[in-house]
Amino acid sequence: MVTNRLLISLIVSLLLAFSATSIAQETAAAGAEAASREKFRSLDEDVQNLKKEVLDLNRDLFLLEEELLFPANSQVAFFISLDVGEYFNLDSVNLKIDGKEVANYLYTEREADALVRGGVHRVHMANLKTGDHELIAIFTGGGPNTRDYRRGATLTFDKGIGSKYIELEITDRVKKQQPEFVIKEWE
Amino acid sequence: MLRCRSIPVALCFLLLALVPMAYAAKNDPEPIVVKDPHYGEVLFHFYKEDYFPAIVRLLAAQQQGLISEHEEQAELLLGGLYLSYGHHLEAATIFERLLADNVDQETRDRTWFFLAKIWLQRGYLDKSQEALSYLSEDLPDNLRREAQMLQSQIYINSGQYERAIALLENWKGRTEWASYAKFNLGVAMVRSGNVAGAEQILSELGELNPFNEELASLRDKANLALGYALLQDGQPFAAKEPLLRVRLEGPFSNKALLGVGWADAESENFRRALVPWMELRSRDLLDPAVQESLLAIPYALGKLDSISQAADHYLNAIEAFYEEANRIDRTIGYIESGDIFDQFLADDPLDSTGWFWRLEQLPEGPEGRYLYHLLATHEFQEGLKNYRDLHYLNNNLEQWQGSVDVFANMLETRKQAYDERLPKVEDTLARADIDAMVQRKFEFDAQLDEVEQGHDWLALANEREFEMWGEIAGLESAPALSADIPEADEVRDKVLLLKGVMQWQLERDFQDRLWRARRDVRKTGEALVEAQRSRRKIDDSMLNEPLRFEEFSNRVYGLGPKIDGMQLRVAEAMGEQRSFLESIAVGELRAQQQRLDVYTVQARFALAAIYDIAAAEGGAGE
Repeated sequence: MVTNRLLISLIVSLLLAFSATSIAQETAAAGAEAASREKFRSLDEDVQNLKKEVLDLNRDLFLLEEELLFPANSQVAFFISLDVGEYFNLDSVNLKIDGKEVANYLYTEREADALVRGGVHRVHMANLKTGDHELIAIFTGGGPNTRDYRRGATLTFDKGIGSKYIELEITDRVKKQQPEFVIKEWE
Repeated sequence: MLRCRSIPVALCFLLLALVPMAYAAKNDPEPIVVKDPHYGEVLFHFYKEDYFPAIVRLLAAQQQGLISEHEEQAELLLGGLYLSYGHHLEAATIFERLLADNVDQETRDRTWFFLAKIWLQRGYLDKSQEALSYLSEDLPDNLRREAQMLQSQIYINSGQYERAIALLENWKGRTEWASYAKFNLGVAMVRSGNVAGAEQILSELGELNPFNEELASLRDKANLALGYALLQDGQPFAAKEPLLRVRLEGPFSNKALLGVGWADAESENFRRALVPWMELRSRDLLDPAVQESLLAIPYALGKLDSISQAADHYLNAIEAFYEEANRIDRTIGYIESGDIFDQFLADDPLDSTGWFWRLEQLPEGPEGRYLYHLLATHEFQEGLKNYRDLHYLNNNLEQWQGSVDVFANMLETRKQAYDERLPKVEDTLARADIDAMVQRKFEFDAQLDEVEQGHDWLALANEREFEMWGEIAGLESAPALSADIPEADEVRDKVLLLKGVMQWQLERDFQDRLWRARRDVRKTGEALVEAQRSRRKIDDSMLNEPLRFEEFSNRVYGLGPKIDGMQLRVAEAMGEQRSFLESIAVGELRAQQQRLDVYTVQARFALAAIYDIAAAEGGAGE
């Protein structure tokens, strides 16, 4: 007959392994555990090196793409940022350059939150000739008491020889807490 | 843009992002002022938890010199991004370089603390230990407690139980951490052979009044560990009490029921032992406790002299073990086919990566049930995380490979268009002799100088005036007007009058006309300068464009093979990572199979013994 001692020792050995797992994720045999940990570490170090190399390659490819598609002398980038109270929710931004619609961006909750926290969204990149251009920007969003906002701004800007960056900041820190565009130009 | 704070605050913000959201929300520092839009763009991706694109943009902006206003912050941000992305070795390199001088003690402590935590999870015990050694005495209380817990885990993981006990014995406080510390202390004592010490510690924990599910679970674990430690130590009476404290429904209930049965069986009370064991046999056979109950029940029945019932139960157990072993076999086959890990990721959107990712749900199907407990292990989760990251890298490289082909095509098209336009442009340029035009402009200047100096008012007459002046001069010299008659005198006077009026008008307008003429010539000169500048640009373009094409070509055609090479290495690493995960999963299943084999042998042995007894009794009866 099977002895209860044998069964108990079986289950106890299992349980102790289980207890250790719940604390330190150990497997039963210390030697096998160390070997497994070494193997994991070696693989992890390989993955870390690969990540670094792929990130560097991505940087080179990102720069190549940008320089190829948007050469510095014609490049114009449009950025959106927020400086608003916590009750304004941005829904969308629409951009027209020289009468032509170039961007109509709907923000997800996650993106709008990233903007509220200080992130800046590059909403559009364009190639423009040197000289004057007209930008019309419209944003929509919701304020407190289910009040919806729709505001627009027009800017005539001069495109010089180098890259140009235009930041459209939506702020309610001016003019009686009504959200408005404040436009900044960066060279 | 937004409100500004210093660099350490920025780093604190990053590190707070590495702790659970509820905690982070309470401690959210003020946002950072963005002085370069490209830096803000990196933050945008960081706040969206898209760490990979955030790192790429930051590296690119750094290379382009677009974030000069945030140079130091950018380095710390990069370290934080690497950390969030799970690129912990690179993050540590940055922090080691920057943390010494640039930031305050608290920020340094938080950074090393989180690195220690990540490294412990990844099994880098030496590095985790090193990171803990950098912590100062001024660590905030909540982090200090967790840091001590990390230290005790390092000791336990590396088999230094006495050091773990020494550390945990002096634990102060009554927080949740104190409960975890007690549990770790109890387990360290059991493993070092000090069951009596462990009994006191685990008993205290096993009787606590839990105020949340986490503590209730910890209480169950403590009772279970204590119960089995006492059973193994030959104290079945004492073991029963903690085992009965384990909740009837919960992850530990099966093992507790089994233990309660064994405690009764050890006390020769087999009838009572059958109660928990019979409850167990209706539960999921996947659990080793349930499997063991299938053997324990006939064992108890045998002890109670219900031999035929015992034989039936042994037969049922053998059948159940056989079927279970077959199912495990099929699962091993499925795992070894390699599809299971891709299926793990198939349901999971690959739109972001990061250290916080965990696989919570296994794919539905018979195979998943065998692997659920693997999800609770760091080794498997971290391995799966690496596999997922490699999968992301592979997709990323595939997308770039497609883009690079488009870039090459675009470049060829541009080059072709340029080559076609070049002869026309060269022809036009050849016809436009700007130097001759400049020379003519200088001649105009000289002529105007002469006109001004000679006050040559007639030179500035327009065409009609000049013709008129010529006609008048022609009349003046007409022979008819030389006649000595009154009519001729009259006409001569009129001609002289006309001539005088015209001269007066031209002299009156002389300065104005001279200014206008000089203005026109000056404008022409400016246009010529602009034309010369444009010409130089065109010449430069004609000189540089082929070089630009060549430079772009080198980059485009150089990066393609690099992507190919990288894809191969990623695929190889994925293969290795998959093998590693397979070996963990299959190893686990083989262990389950071996256990079933042992149980089956025991059941057969017991059954044979029953048959022997029955045969012997039959023989004696005859």
